[in-house]
Amino acid sequence: MWYFVKKTGLKLLIIEDEFSLKQSMVDFLTASSYLCESASNYHDSIEKIELFDYDCIILDIMLPGGSGLDLLKSLKQNNKSDGVIIISAKGELDDKIQGIEMGADDYLAKPFHLSELAVRIAAIIRRKSFQGKSQLTFGNITIDVQGKRVTVENKELDLTQKEYQLLLYLSINKNRVLSKNAIAQHLWGDDMDFPDNYDFIYAHIKNLRKKLVSAGAEDCIRSIYGEGYKMQIE
Amino acid sequence: MKLFTKYNRINITATICIFLAGSVAFYFVLDYVLIRQLDASLRSEKQEITEYIQAHQQLPEIQNTKEQWIQINKTDLPNSKTITKTIPVYNKAEAEQEYIRQLLFTVTVNQQNYLVTVNKSETETEELLKLIILVTISMVAMILLFNYLINRRLINSIWKPFYTTIHNIKDYAANQQALTLSKEPIDEINLLNESLNSMTEQIHKDFYALRSFTENASHEMQTPLAIIRSKVESLYQYAEGKELMMQQLLSIEDACLKLSKLHQSLLLLTKLENKQFVLNETIRLKSIIEKKIDERKELFESKQIDLQLNAIDFEMQLHQHLSEILISNLLNNSIRYTAHGGSISIILNQKNLTFSNTASDDSLDPEKVFSRFYKASESGTGLGLSIIKEICTVAGFSIKYQFENKTHHFIIDFQA
Repeated sequence: MWYFVKKTGLKLLIIEDEFSLKQSMVDFLTASSYLCESASNYHDSIEKIELFDYDCIILDIMLPGGSGLDLLKSLKQNNKSDGVIIISAKGELDDKIQGIEMGADDYLAKPFHLSELAVRIAAIIRRKSFQGKSQLTFGNITIDVQGKRVTVENKELDLTQKEYQLLLYLSINKNRVLSKNAIAQHLWGDDMDFPDNYDFIYAHIKNLRKKLVSAGAEDCIRSIYGEGYKMQIE
Repeated sequence: MKLFTKYNRINITATICIFLAGSVAFYFVLDYVLIRQLDASLRSEKQEITEYIQAHQQLPEIQNTKEQWIQINKTDLPNSKTITKTIPVYNKAEAEQEYIRQLLFTVTVNQQNYLVTVNKSETETEELLKLIILVTISMVAMILLFNYLINRRLINSIWKPFYTTIHNIKDYAANQQALTLSKEPIDEINLLNESLNSMTEQIHKDFYALRSFTENASHEMQTPLAIIRSKVESLYQYAEGKELMMQQLLSIEDACLKLSKLHQSLLLLTKLENKQFVLNETIRLKSIIEKKIDERKELFESKQIDLQLNAIDFEMQLHQHLSEILISNLLNNSIRYTAHGGSISIILNQKNLTFSNTASDDSLDPEKVFSRFYKASESGTGLGLSIIKEICTVAGFSIKYQFENKTHHFIIDFQA
């Protein structure tokens, strides 16, 4: 199997009415060691939100039986500190601003990459809860998320901002094949127009690998025919 | 021409014509009446003389006055008919031409014929006539003047609600609330206001119906795309060791991304056409350009593009998000059509924003370059430049495309 489930004890609630999409998210995030619960309508969602506490709620806006924004409102009225990430198909700037103003922590427009969702969730949990570690360690590489520093066996690595983002993205989605498409979108956003070949991503990966290896880290980033990359950590 | 001016022009011309014709007729009627009156007194004089002669068989003693005098001359002519006529006489004392009304008749006293001429000055009649005409004319003038003043006040106050209505319509945009024009005492204006109220309400409803349709259509479209994408992402995990599968999954993902972008672009174009953006944010184009260039740093490096930015920092009223889209699209466009190792130059000042880049091909078709789905290469949605054009239109800018010395120039003129 391509994932190793080692429960982190972090609980997520995925609210999405489209079954297939919900299932994909549940599978993906369970594989990322989260405890996932899901709801597909307004009624179930409000019940779950009121009864339990979650580390992060993934919230769709258009739901059968009500609006996701109303769920957000009731969450805030009950002084719940659950992190909230809105996933909406509307992609409208106004919705985004409204969601953030109402207390959502982040906003992701559909369609999105699951790997991107994972990074956003990790960031929210880091910010929100004390459970979230400010340090990520894998192999002999340590990422200090607060200080945005990377050390290999206590030796600090000199990374560019993009290289740091890339490493964080790969490590949060470790043991997973990530398409160069998803990497490009994570690093440069989606208002960019990428050239048909993603040469510059290859160059970035190459530089990052070189820096990691020369600092004495394990060469854990693998290229999948140049179409995708994977950070392999046993 | 204002309604009041037009109305007045017709009204006053007609009034003047009617009064003019009336005055002329009045003059002749009055003249006729006064002359007849004069003639009647001349005839009664004649009667007096005839009666006197019949009674006394001798000519009467004549007592002339300034207004009336009688001449009796012997004549050999036989008895003739009575003649009445007007003759001009030169009055030496007054040094002016005067008119005299004469009645000529023959009498016979002791077989001797006499021609009697009874004269009456018309001066008095004329003066009366003059006076009457003067009074009439001043009355006409006064009627015209008062008519004008009253009309002006009245029409201005009657049309005031009309102008208020017009003013409201002028400022009306489809995306704002329906008009609520007030009830007016005048039926026609009221009818106009009521019709406009219901019309704008309909426009408002339609506008929102269309808007929510577009948004819902977008929602319904993005969700299946999100599913495809998430499934592709899961499938990647099984593609290790299978190069062909990896490539095919990547093409599916690319197509998915393109479809999603295409849809977002069309949605944006619709919103731009509906004027759903309020351009009231203060932005600094220079910093936006710098930010967008910085985001694309790696792209410039990988294509080895030489970038030159020559910008003046100033504030302008626009929409933050729209200006970012504008700059992003211009940059994306420049990068796409610049060959490896080419150069891009951006010049920004208070008047223009110019994006120039060395061409990898020939000139684009200046006629079609801003039209939807025009593509000079396979990449891109073909909507980038139409979005740029539409944003310029909304912001009141003009944009033109030029090609010279193997360089594409896109020039936005802020003042146009």
